Amino acid sequence: MLARMENVTKRYGTTEGVRGLSLDFPAGEVVGVLGLNGSGKSTMLKLLAGLLLPTEGSIRVFEAAPRASRARMVFLGETDTLWPWMTPSDAERFMAGLYEDFDTARFHELLDALEVPRRKTKAMSKGERGRLRLAMALARNAKFYLLDEPLAGIDLISREKILQSLVREWHTDEAILLSTHEVAEAEGLFDRVVYLRDGRLALDTSAEALRAEGKSVVQTFKEVLA
Amino acid sequence: MRSFRTLLWLEHRRSWVWAVSLLGSLAFWAWGIKQVLVMDAAERLGIRSGLLGLAAAIGAVILCLMIGRIRSETRHGQYQVLLLTPPSGYSHVAARYLYVAAVAVVYFVAIGFLYWWIAALAGIHLDSQSLFELILALPFYLMSVTMLPLLAWTLLLMVFISAYRISGPGWIPGTVMILGTPFVVRWLWDGIIRIAYSLPGWKLFTNAPYALIQRFGEIEEDVSVALNQGIYEGLPLEPMLILLAVSVVLLIAAGRIWQEVEA
Repeated sequence: MLARMENVTKRYGTTEGVRGLSLDFPAGEVVGVLGLNGSGKSTMLKLLAGLLLPTEGSIRVFEAAPRASRARMVFLGETDTLWPWMTPSDAERFMAGLYEDFDTARFHELLDALEVPRRKTKAMSKGERGRLRLAMALARNAKFYLLDEPLAGIDLISREKILQSLVREWHTDEAILLSTHEVAEAEGLFDRVVYLRDGRLALDTSAEALRAEGKSVVQTFKEVLA
Repeated sequence: MRSFRTLLWLEHRRSWVWAVSLLGSLAFWAWGIKQVLVMDAAERLGIRSGLLGLAAAIGAVILCLMIGRIRSETRHGQYQVLLLTPPSGYSHVAARYLYVAAVAVVYFVAIGFLYWWIAALAGIHLDSQSLFELILALPFYLMSVTMLPLLAWTLLLMVFISAYRISGPGWIPGTVMILGTPFVVRWLWDGIIRIAYSLPGWKLFTNAPYALIQRFGEIEEDVSVALNQGIYEGLPLEPMLILLAVSVVLLIAAGRIWQEVEA
């Protein structure tokens, strides 16, 4: 088991981000974390990354507290976190210097595949910055990937490139948790889908089971969360 | 070690404009000093010394702003990125502190050189020991009792504010911290005064008055008596040792907050 959440609740003052989540994440799955705005998707991913601490319950990643596992997992947040002066080669130096599992050759391949321009991020479009961030994330040989809205605000062509990279780079000993609003586009990626509603688990099912019922992930999204 | 070097590089990339501007400003001060053309040599030396004192004070403020960088830290979630990296909070805090402290050392040593220069312009020729004391020992002492704890305090404040969002519900402890600082400084100062000179003083510039005598003919009688009779005790070591220790404690606290904080 790569990660386990046991009865996890996160409160922000009087507001509940997530409540009573118990989920296991084994290797070999691409998990779609789906829900409406404010349903707790980002909170859940940040809890797994160790960026937030649970108010109740426990989280283990690689049998340790999430923060102790930072070197072994990837978190790609929804905010644009690159410094404006950064070029792809600065990003490479940053990642290679801080993460032992960063693969420089793979990074260059990803830059080419995702067509990331070699200029400062302040001169890049949002889509280009998103692709650079994804290249930085996927160039690590980690086992647990937490991708929070990597497709948000990115044009259709860039979104396709990102999804193609995710498919190409994924290995069976890894797990990817991907939260997105672009459910229809990402549907084909998912092995499993976790639907959240108001911070609670609404449905946790395999994509295979949905297909066996003759339903799509999008259809189920509408049924469960409408 | 590689990760610490990377953090230092990151600090440099984020702050080099500040650092270069600060060090470049010394050219402006040197130019300003040359513009002081008062006839009396002692008065000219005094004005020039005052200008360098002003340069030091302005530099101190800029260094604090440089290490603070509250806005750029929280913008675009970059703090979040740094929190996620494997190096500990202590490493992040140490890298930032080390970078800014290194810039401060270069700046204040350069100001020491400028003091030597204005002394030379005034016809005071320091021997090699006094020169060493002016450009290295005195800046080290003054930085230890002022800049290093001030930078550590600013860094702690910055981490505190970034961590607990002083603009949000965390503003009360942040405000208490800021308002409480003068009282803590006063308490610390009183304590230091009480124990000052328990250790032998650091006797700097024992040769310098003779250079002054050579140039200006005489020095005040009590200074002369103090030197000749061994009354000159030098600079007290206790403030330096205590404030260096305080700096370390502040940095450890900043590192600890970094370790515990939520993004």
